[in-house]
Amino acid sequence: MPPTPSIVERPQRWDVAFDPAMTDADVDRLMATPPFSNMPVEKFPKRTPLREILRNDTSIRRYRKGEIIVRQGDYGTSAFLILSGATRVVLKPDLPPSLLGRQAPSKKGFFRTLAQLWSERRPPESFRRKDLRHDSGLGARRDEDENVRVFLQDLPRVLDKHRTEEMTAGDFFGEIAALSRMPRTSTIFTASDEAELLEIRWQGLRDLMRSSDELRKHIDRIYRERALASYLRATPIFRHLSKEQLADLATQVQFASYGDYDWSGDYKRLAKAGSMRPEKEPVIVQEGDYPNGVVLLRAGFARVSQKFGSGERTLNYIGAGQLFGFDEIAHNFQKPQDPVPYQHTLRAIGYTHLLIVPTRVMEQLVLPTLSQKELSRFANGRDGAPPPSAPQPSATPIAADTLEFLTANRFFNGTATMVIDLDRCTRCDDCVRACASTHDNNPRFLRHGPSSGRLMVANACMHCADPVCMIGCPTGAIHRESFAGQVVINPATCIGCKACANNCPYEAIRMVEIRDEGGEFIMGEDLRPILKATKCDLCVESWGGPACERACPHGALERMNLNDLESLADWMKR
Amino acid sequence: MSEQLPAPDFDSQNYQRPNQKWICGRATEGSPCRKGPDNKGRCGATAECAPVLEKKPGEEKGRWRCTRSGGACESGPLPDGSCGRPAVKCAPVPTLRTRRGQLTRAVIVATIALLLILLGGSWRGSFINPGPISTAHSGEKFASMHGTNSQSCAACHRAGDFGPSGLISAAWHAKPGPFSLTELAYARRGESTAIDTACQKCHPGHALHQPNVVQDVSCSYCHQEHRGPMAATTDTHCGICHADTEVMRAASVKGTRLPEDAFHTSITRDPNVFQASRPRSGFTNVIHRFSSDHPEFRLHADKRRDPNTLMFNHALHLTSDTIQKLPSGQKLDCVFCHQPEAAGVYFQRIRFEKHCQACHSLQFDPETPGLTLPHGNPEFVSAFLHSLPRQYADVAARSGITRPERQTEFAREKLQRLQARVVSGEDFEKRVFFSTATSGPERRVGSVNGATSSLYLGCAYCHDVTSGPHGNPVITKPLVFDRWLPRAQFNHAKHSAVTCGNCHQAEASHDTADIILPTKTSCVTCHSAAGGVSDSCATCHTYHRKL
Amino acid sequence: MSRFGRQTVVGTFLLLLASAGVVIAHRRWSEELPNYAYLSGWVLMAVMILLALYNMRKRLPFLSLGSSEAWLQIHVYAGFFTVILFLAHLKFRMPTGWFEGALAWLYILVTGSGIVGLFLSRVLPRRLATRGGEVIYEKIPALRNALRQEAETLVLAGGPQVIANFYTENLHDFFRRPKYFWPHLLDSRRPLNAIVTELDELRRYLNEAERTTLEKLADLVRRKDGLDYHHALQVTLKLWLFVHLPLTYSLMIFSVLHIIIVFAFSGGAR
Repeated sequence: MPPTPSIVERPQRWDVAFDPAMTDADVDRLMATPPFSNMPVEKFPKRTPLREILRNDTSIRRYRKGEIIVRQGDYGTSAFLILSGATRVVLKPDLPPSLLGRQAPSKKGFFRTLAQLWSERRPPESFRRKDLRHDSGLGARRDEDENVRVFLQDLPRVLDKHRTEEMTAGDFFGEIAALSRMPRTSTIFTASDEAELLEIRWQGLRDLMRSSDELRKHIDRIYRERALASYLRATPIFRHLSKEQLADLATQVQFASYGDYDWSGDYKRLAKAGSMRPEKEPVIVQEGDYPNGVVLLRAGFARVSQKFGSGERTLNYIGAGQLFGFDEIAHNFQKPQDPVPYQHTLRAIGYTHLLIVPTRVMEQLVLPTLSQKELSRFANGRDGAPPPSAPQPSATPIAADTLEFLTANRFFNGTATMVIDLDRCTRCDDCVRACASTHDNNPRFLRHGPSSGRLMVANACMHCADPVCMIGCPTGAIHRESFAGQVVINPATCIGCKACANNCPYEAIRMVEIRDEGGEFIMGEDLRPILKATKCDLCVESWGGPACERACPHGALERMNLNDLESLADWMKR
Repeated sequence: MSEQLPAPDFDSQNYQRPNQKWICGRATEGSPCRKGPDNKGRCGATAECAPVLEKKPGEEKGRWRCTRSGGACESGPLPDGSCGRPAVKCAPVPTLRTRRGQLTRAVIVATIALLLILLGGSWRGSFINPGPISTAHSGEKFASMHGTNSQSCAACHRAGDFGPSGLISAAWHAKPGPFSLTELAYARRGESTAIDTACQKCHPGHALHQPNVVQDVSCSYCHQEHRGPMAATTDTHCGICHADTEVMRAASVKGTRLPEDAFHTSITRDPNVFQASRPRSGFTNVIHRFSSDHPEFRLHADKRRDPNTLMFNHALHLTSDTIQKLPSGQKLDCVFCHQPEAAGVYFQRIRFEKHCQACHSLQFDPETPGLTLPHGNPEFVSAFLHSLPRQYADVAARSGITRPERQTEFAREKLQRLQARVVSGEDFEKRVFFSTATSGPERRVGSVNGATSSLYLGCAYCHDVTSGPHGNPVITKPLVFDRWLPRAQFNHAKHSAVTCGNCHQAEASHDTADIILPTKTSCVTCHSAAGGVSDSCATCHTYHRKL
Repeated sequence: MSRFGRQTVVGTFLLLLASAGVVIAHRRWSEELPNYAYLSGWVLMAVMILLALYNMRKRLPFLSLGSSEAWLQIHVYAGFFTVILFLAHLKFRMPTGWFEGALAWLYILVTGSGIVGLFLSRVLPRRLATRGGEVIYEKIPALRNALRQEAETLVLAGGPQVIANFYTENLHDFFRRPKYFWPHLLDSRRPLNAIVTELDELRRYLNEAERTTLEKLADLVRRKDGLDYHHALQVTLKLWLFVHLPLTYSLMIFSVLHIIIVFAFSGGAR
C-alpha cells in the first residue's frame, strides 16, 4: 500500500513572526523613521509590503548601559539599526574572551592531564565551583521578556583600556554577518544609559534590499568594501589578477542570499514531515540555462543535481569556497563555436549565500589570466566532451544512497562529523569512555544516530561550517575557539536557556542537570536544578586531538569533514 | 527476511554512560532514576527530592520547599526537612565491564592463592619439578643423605628450601644473573655452574680426566637431570673439547709444560698393563668421530712389539698339522688356553699348569711318562734332578710297587737306562735348562707316550734362559700382559657374536713379539655408521678416570 | 591499496620476517648456546609485556600515546609473533612438570582466546551492520521489557483466545528473556522461522480483524528477534575478553614466578 502523502502547509513567508510583540504602533513609528520613511512603499511587492516586513521581520530591542549587543566572533542572523541612544564598537584589539563570556583557549597542563586518571570517581556532570566562576567583569539580568542580558560591570575601565568608536541613531551594523553568515567582526555594546535598536532578521533585510535601492546601494557598498575585496584576493581562480583588476572585479561581482527558512526550527519540522525533497528547494541555477556567471559559494550549502528519469538525481553538494558553472563557461571560452549550457541544477539547501561573477567579467578579466593547466585543473573537463558532473572536487565515487542520506540529513554541514563504520565497530564503547575520561567522566556524544548501510553518523556535534547553534546565545557562552575552529560551550557563562540545543538540527547539544562534587544536584534560587548545555568540543583542551578517534581500536570511528566528499570517499575505501 | 531492521527508537535527550560502573536497577523497566548509582554501586535515590529551607526576609523559621525536578509534589517536605516521598531504593546492576573487573580480580586472587598453597607447602617440589629425576637421585634414601625430605629440591638446588624472599634473593644472585644478558648470551657450552658444587658433594674428584685439561666442564653438561633416567653421554659432550681445535691445541701446550710424573697414573703404574707410550703432544688429536678421525691405537701406531720373554708361536699352535690333538681329541683352539673370567669381559691369565702342561708335560724320560719336571722355579727343578732316585722310587710306589727294596731296585734300573742316554748328570741338567729345539746338546730329551713329539726340549725352548754368575740358569719371569688397551674398555662377552679370529689374527702370527690386538680399522668394520654398531666415544672410553 | 589492506600486508610481512629470523636463530643457537632457554625466555617476556601494555594505554585515552588502532595492530602482530617465540623457547616440546605445564597452557589459552577475539571482531560487526536494528547494548533490557509489555497488552488484554493461548504457551518465555543465543551466533534463522510459521498456522482460526492482531504480534516477534540477535552478538563481542583478560593476569603472575624460580634454581649448563 503506497504511503499516504502527508499534507503540510508550505512554509509561508511569515508563519512565525520574528517578534510577535510588534504592534501596529511600533510599525507606524518605524515607518516614520529613516531610512524606512524614505523607502518607496510602492516598489515593494504586494506579497511583501514594507509594513509587513517591518511587522514580521523586525523587533525593537531596548538595551541598558553596558549591555553587550553583539560579540565579535558570534554568529548572527540579524542586522541592527540604532533608533535612539548610542553604542560603541570595540576596535582592535577586542575585549578579552572572558568578558565575552568565553573561556580563554588553553590546553590542559601536565598535572591536570594526569589527574584524569582519577576522573572515574567523579559523579556524572559534577562541576567544581571554580569551573562555574565567570569573569566578575560581566553581570547578567533578565529583561521584561525573561531574556538574559549580559552587561559589562566596569564600563569606564573597558572604555579606558580599549579603543572604541561611537555609533548613534540611524547607524546600521551587522548586515554583512546577517546576510553572509560570517561571524560578527566586532563587539558592540550600549554606551548611553538607554538605547533602542531595531533588530532586523536577514530575510527582512534581504527583502528590504530588494525593493529599496538606497539600502541596497548602501549595503552593497560596505559589503564590497569590507568583506568582498579580501575574500576575492584569497580565491584561487583570481590569484593572477592585479590589484586594479581585483578592484574592478569587486565592483562587478553580484552577491545573493537564498533560502526561505531558518535552519533549525523549520528544518526539523519539515524533515519530520518528509517534505525535504530537492524539488522543494529554491533553485539558484537551472540545468539547461545559458551560463551567465560562475557561482562562488560563500556560506551555506547548495545541492548539485541532474535530471534523471522523472526526478532529480543528486550528484554532489557544494559548500563554502566552491565553484559552480566554471567548467561550462571555461569550455565556452575555449570553444566558442560549441557552447554548452549549465549541465546541472544548483539549489539552495537551507540558507545559502553566494557570489556570482558574470560570464562577461570572467571572459574579459579572469579566464585570460589562467594557464591551460589551471583551466583544466579548475574545470576538470575533457576536451570536446561536456564537462563532467561535479564542480571543483572531482566526481568522487560515493554511492548514491549515501549521498542522499547525507544530503537529506544535512550532514554535509559538519567539519568534524562523527562517522562510524558499522562493519568494523565492535560496539566496545571505547570511544565513549575515552570521551568521558577527557571530560571529567562525562561522555559528550551518543554512539548512535541515523545510518545508511554501513555508515552511521553518530549524535556528536559536527562543528558545522554553518553553526546554527551559535545564533542567539544570550551570554556568548557558545563560541568558536578560533576562526572556523571548534564550537565550544563555556559552562561558567551558560545559563541553560536551551537556545543552542533547540537550534541544533542534529540534536547534538544536550542539556544536563549539573551536580556538585558529592553527586548532589545543584539548585538555583528557584529550587530548580541548574541546566547547562553540553556537547562535543573536539577535545579542544586536550593534547592529541579528539579522544574518540584515537581510542577506536578498529579504525571504525573518524571525525570527518563532510564539506566536500573527498575524505569520505577515501575513508569508505580504506 | 533480508531487509535491514529499523533501529529501535530511544531517547537522545540523555547521554549513555558506559563509563559508569553501575546501572540503576530500574533501567530495565525503562525508568532509571535521574540520580543513578554512585561509583560503589549504592543506589543514589534517597527521596524524590532534597528539600531546601527557604527563609524569606523577616521569617524566622522558614519553610521547607520541595525541589523535585518534575515539579513540586503536593504534600511537600516533612516538618523536619526530609522528603515526604522516600524513593524506593533499587538494586544497582553492575555493568558487564564491572563484572569483568570483578572476575579479573577474583582470578588474580585465586591464582595467587593457588600458587601460595602449591609453592609454600610440601608440594612445592613435585609442583615445580620440570621433569622426572633419575632413579639414583630420587627417593627417600637420597634425600636422607642430604638431610632433606624426598620432596624437596634442596639436595641439589641451594634454593630448594628457601622461602619467597630467599627465592627472589637467589634469583637475583644467580650467576649469570637474570639481567646480565651479555653473560647469558656469551656463556660457553659446558661452563661450570653453581650446581656442580652440589654434584661434588657426593661425586668428588670432578677433575679426574687428565692433568692437561684446559677447560673444566660442568657435571650437568654431560649428565642432564630432570629428563627421566639419566641418559648416556653423547659424542657432542666429548667433542666439546676433543673436537675443538683450539682446546686441543691449548691442552697440548699445557701438557708439554707439565712434568712427566703428572701423567703417571694407576694405569701407567700397573705392570700387568701394556704401556703404550704417551705421545709428546698428549692425547690431543682433534677427533670428531671414531670411524673417521680417531687416531690409530698407540700400540699399532708406534708399531710396538710384545716384550714378553715367553716364546710362543700362535700360527704353529693353531694351524700346524704337527700339533697334537688335545686330550679330548679336538684340535687345539683359542678357547683351550684363553678362557674368559667369570664376567666374561677379559680372560684368565695363561697358566702353565692349566693350559700348557697338557701338551708340554715336561717329561724328560721317554720311558717314564708319569715323571715330569716341576715347573716354575729353576731351583726346584735342580733339586728334582738331584733327587732323581727318590723320584723314581715314588713312581714305583705309585705304580703299585710297595716294597721299598723293589722300589729302590726300580729306581736304580731307571737311572741306569737314563744315564745310558745322557753323557752325564751335569750335562743332563744343562740340557734341561738350556736346550732349545734348534740348539743345545740334544734336540730331544724326552717324549710323551705314543705321540711323536713330546715337546720338552728344554726350558729354553720356551723361556729366556741365561747363565747366572755361577753357571746357574736364570730364567726371566715371563710378563704376560693382562691388558693391552688400557685407555679403553673392551668387553669380550659383548662380542660373543664375533669369532676370535675376526679380530685377532692369531693364525697369521708366527712371532712371539707380534701384538695380535686388532687395529682401529678392524673395529671400525662394525663400530661405525656403516657397520651399524655404536661408535660413540662412551662405548669404549670413560671420562672420570685417570688414564 | 586500501589502508586496511596495506596494514595487513605490511604487518604480515614484518611478522614473517621476524618469525624467519627466530627460526634461523633457533636452528643456529638452540643447541649451541647453553643459556638459550633463558635468552629466548626474556625475549618472549619482553614481547608479552609489550602486549600487556595495550591495556594500560586503553586506560589513558587522554594522554597522547598513539592511536588505539596502531596499538591494536602492534598487539595483534606481536601476539602472533609470540607463538613462534613460545615454540622456540619450549624447543618445540610440551613441557613436563606441573608448573611449567600450567604456564604453557595459560599461554595457549590467552593466545587462543586472543585469536578467537580477533576473528570475532572482524566477523561479527559486519553481520550486525547487515542485520540492521542498531541498538546500544545497555538499552536492550529496557527495550526487551517494552516489547514484552507491548506484546502482552496486544495479546492478553481482550485479544482472541487462540492467540492468547499461543502466546502463553510458546511466546511467554520468548519475550521474557534473550533467546536463541547459539542460532544467532551461527547466523541461523531457523528458530525465528519456526515461530513465524507457527504463527502463520494460526491464521486459519482467525477472522480478518484478528489477523491484523496476528500481524502485529508477528512484527513484535521479528523485532524481538532482531533485538536478540544484537544481544547475542554484542555480548559475544564483550564476553571473549572475560577469558582473555583475567587469564592474562594469571599468565603474567605465573611468568614472573617462573622467571624467579628458574634463576633461583639455575645451575644447569646446557
